[in-house]
Amino acid sequence: MKKFMSFRIWILIIALILGLIILAPNPWADGIEVVSVDANSDAVSNGLNIGDILLSINDYEINNVGDVDIALASLIYSEQEIKIKTSEDYETYTITNDILFDIDENLTISDSELFVEGSKLLEINGEIIDDYDEFNEIYNELVPKRIIKIVTENENIAYLSREIPKIIVSEEKTSNLIFGLEFTGGTRVLLKPIGEDISEDDINNLIDVLSNRLNVYGLSDIKIRSAEDWDGNKYVLVELAGVTQDEVRDLISQQGKFEAKIGDVVVFNGGNNDIPYVCRDDGTCSGIRSCEDYQDGSVCEFEFSITLSNTAAAKQAELTSQLAVVNEDGRGYLELPLDLYLDGELVDSLRISESLKGQATTQISISGSGTGASQDLAIENAYQEMKSLQTILITGSLPFDIEIAKMDTVSPVMGEIFLNNMLLVAGLAIVAVALVILIRYRKIKFVLPVMGTLICELFLILAFAGLVKWNIDMAAIAGILAAIGTGVDHQIVIIDEAVNGKKGSRMSDRMKRAFFIIFAAFFATVAAMLPLWNAGAGLFRGFALTTIAGATIGVLLTRPAFASFIEAIDEREEEN
Amino acid sequence: MKEQFQELYYKHYKKLFFIPVILVILALSVLVWNYSTTGDIMDKDVSLKGGTTATVYSEIPFENLEQILEERFGEDFIVRDLKEFGSNTKIGTVIEVSNVDGDDLKIAFEEITGLTLDENNFSVEFVGGSLGESFYKQMAIALLLAYILMGIVIFIAFRVPAPSFMVIFAAFADMLCTLAVMDLIGMKLSTAGIAAILLLVGYSVDTDILLTTKLLKRGEGTLFTRLIDSMKTGLTMTATSFVAISIAYFLASSLVLKQMFLIIMIGLMFDVIMTYGMNAGMLIWYLKKKKVEQ
Repeated sequence: MKKFMSFRIWILIIALILGLIILAPNPWADGIEVVSVDANSDAVSNGLNIGDILLSINDYEINNVGDVDIALASLIYSEQEIKIKTSEDYETYTITNDILFDIDENLTISDSELFVEGSKLLEINGEIIDDYDEFNEIYNELVPKRIIKIVTENENIAYLSREIPKIIVSEEKTSNLIFGLEFTGGTRVLLKPIGEDISEDDINNLIDVLSNRLNVYGLSDIKIRSAEDWDGNKYVLVELAGVTQDEVRDLISQQGKFEAKIGDVVVFNGGNNDIPYVCRDDGTCSGIRSCEDYQDGSVCEFEFSITLSNTAAAKQAELTSQLAVVNEDGRGYLELPLDLYLDGELVDSLRISESLKGQATTQISISGSGTGASQDLAIENAYQEMKSLQTILITGSLPFDIEIAKMDTVSPVMGEIFLNNMLLVAGLAIVAVALVILIRYRKIKFVLPVMGTLICELFLILAFAGLVKWNIDMAAIAGILAAIGTGVDHQIVIIDEAVNGKKGSRMSDRMKRAFFIIFAAFFATVAAMLPLWNAGAGLFRGFALTTIAGATIGVLLTRPAFASFIEAIDEREEEN
Repeated sequence: MKEQFQELYYKHYKKLFFIPVILVILALSVLVWNYSTTGDIMDKDVSLKGGTTATVYSEIPFENLEQILEERFGEDFIVRDLKEFGSNTKIGTVIEVSNVDGDDLKIAFEEITGLTLDENNFSVEFVGGSLGESFYKQMAIALLLAYILMGIVIFIAFRVPAPSFMVIFAAFADMLCTLAVMDLIGMKLSTAGIAAILLLVGYSVDTDILLTTKLLKRGEGTLFTRLIDSMKTGLTMTATSFVAISIAYFLASSLVLKQMFLIIMIGLMFDVIMTYGMNAGMLIWYLKKKKVEQ
């Protein structure tokens, strides 16, 4: 008599266990995980680590990502105006949690955008400061340190600080499955280089500059790969997970050819050769300088400085020495300005003061502006404009011009709704299959193995995707559908051979015939999917790969197990 | 009863050819007619033609949006509602247009409706014109190659040219009829639609391989009982797929998936006609002739 637990079933069980290990599912994981925290912060020195699961911050319960923002926002003090007098300046400004400078025991000021480095603190709000203790006393009155309690799954952290912890969180992973953009939200851009004879090296060069740009801009969750279609067209596919700003799109689609010209002569270009240093994230030489009302909204001006290389500075000196001086409003300027172009468009035009004629200056200040319906929006836009211009100046231009051939952005909110919808659809489709099998054969003993096999197949395909780090996106879902669909078809073939072929021929012959059909169909499916590998710049590869992987798992693992199970059931029935 | 049916079938099975043959001729004329009027056998959507598809997630109904957008840009727009299954409540609006880019569309939409669009309620897909065109060409070639490769696989499996050809022809006829119906109901072909057609080809070939194996490989029973057996199995297969896919069609909220499922549903119906009306008849004819020759 045939055993239920045949060799083939054992193989399937081993595969399922391996799949479980690969996927490491943790469906109950619904915590909020710390993915990044400022290494120099008080929170870290008191024991908060990356990977901790947050439960509460100062009694605010953390149940989702937004809760963290709310909890952290509650720590911000209301704005107050303070007046600071130093040995060099007198400034009035508003603060919340930080006084905006550092100070040592001798009351020497450092690390500040507002005050001269090394100047001495004299007064705060009219009160004379004599020593460091007095400073701390007054500072504590203005911005009191308070207890910050962070409860994580493993520990309770409590400390005194006025600092707001810079924590970035995300939802805890529930498995090793990676979901594609259609479900997580984000942007996918297919870029096509413009020009003839683009070589493999050119594309690799392009990918280097692009990844460098995105990294310098501050994005980490990016995937870039090259793609090619049959016509020999080369592409670069960029995927940015999560929320994406419009500026990022400019960043990857702009060639970023930066040229500084006097008249028609190029003085210097973007990139490391001519511009070894670009000031950013330092308020003393980079920042938003002023805002004013403009039409219905606001316009804000940004400014940052760059340092030229000696050769670039020498070239500038040589060119300016040949220019005549003109007088305007009583001040002397050179007759031609220094024009800054980005991809052929004028971004800034700098008047050169007469004193710089023939001088090899290495410091140049670049300005620009951003507009918005409100001042906050204008500041944000100006800031982003500045950031992308800085990024382009640092990373230099792309080796050639590119165009966006295809671009999709998916909202992360809708991605989640789609994913839940897919799960519902899959669940009900499996139930429907079971019902049809039940109606057709009127035997529950066939229905359960069919459902079991379907679920095993689905699970193993997902495990395979987890193993090869393949993204589960819309194309992959279609592929899984194809594999599962043909899986059901083949199980029906197996059942029918087992049940109907009884008269006369032996079971092993009947199974041989069933597997002939299954293998012929399998190879036909693989044959149909292969041409998709490179068609359409490889955007169908996910579909082809999951279909082939699913069909292969079916043919090698689940269908043999299913057949051996049905054989065993059948024999038992005959004996009764 | 069974004998009578068998006699009846053997007497008339060649007439059964008429149905699939007429269907194929009709399908071809629809495709040719479409080609002569529009320049292509299929109407393509923005994913193959180039253009922008924007989805705004908001329950608010926008009256005359299509008209307003068309007047504003002087382009043809398609505006559709995205509905959730069950409650049938609107969850969003899908806007398609060929020559307007996502940013312009976003700005226009915000101005017309007063809604602010951000990454939480707005998705946009843009395909450049030349890319869409080359996608279409390549997918057509991929489809053709798929048929050739499948033909080779099936020929290796059965080692007889005529029945192998019949399998491929039945699957091909299935595709032609499905494309023609898409033309007739005004459904536009998208990249996802092409993927659906490939899925369909897979399902369709499955039943044809089953039929051919049962009739060609020596087994128990007469030719006719084997035909009936394979029909039972094949129809169960198709019914299962059809039920599962139609449920998926009604439940799926993604328009892309909905379109894929609808194409497969149409194709599965034609598959029954092509497999049992045409492929089965041709095979029986072939086997009878071969017997006479022997």
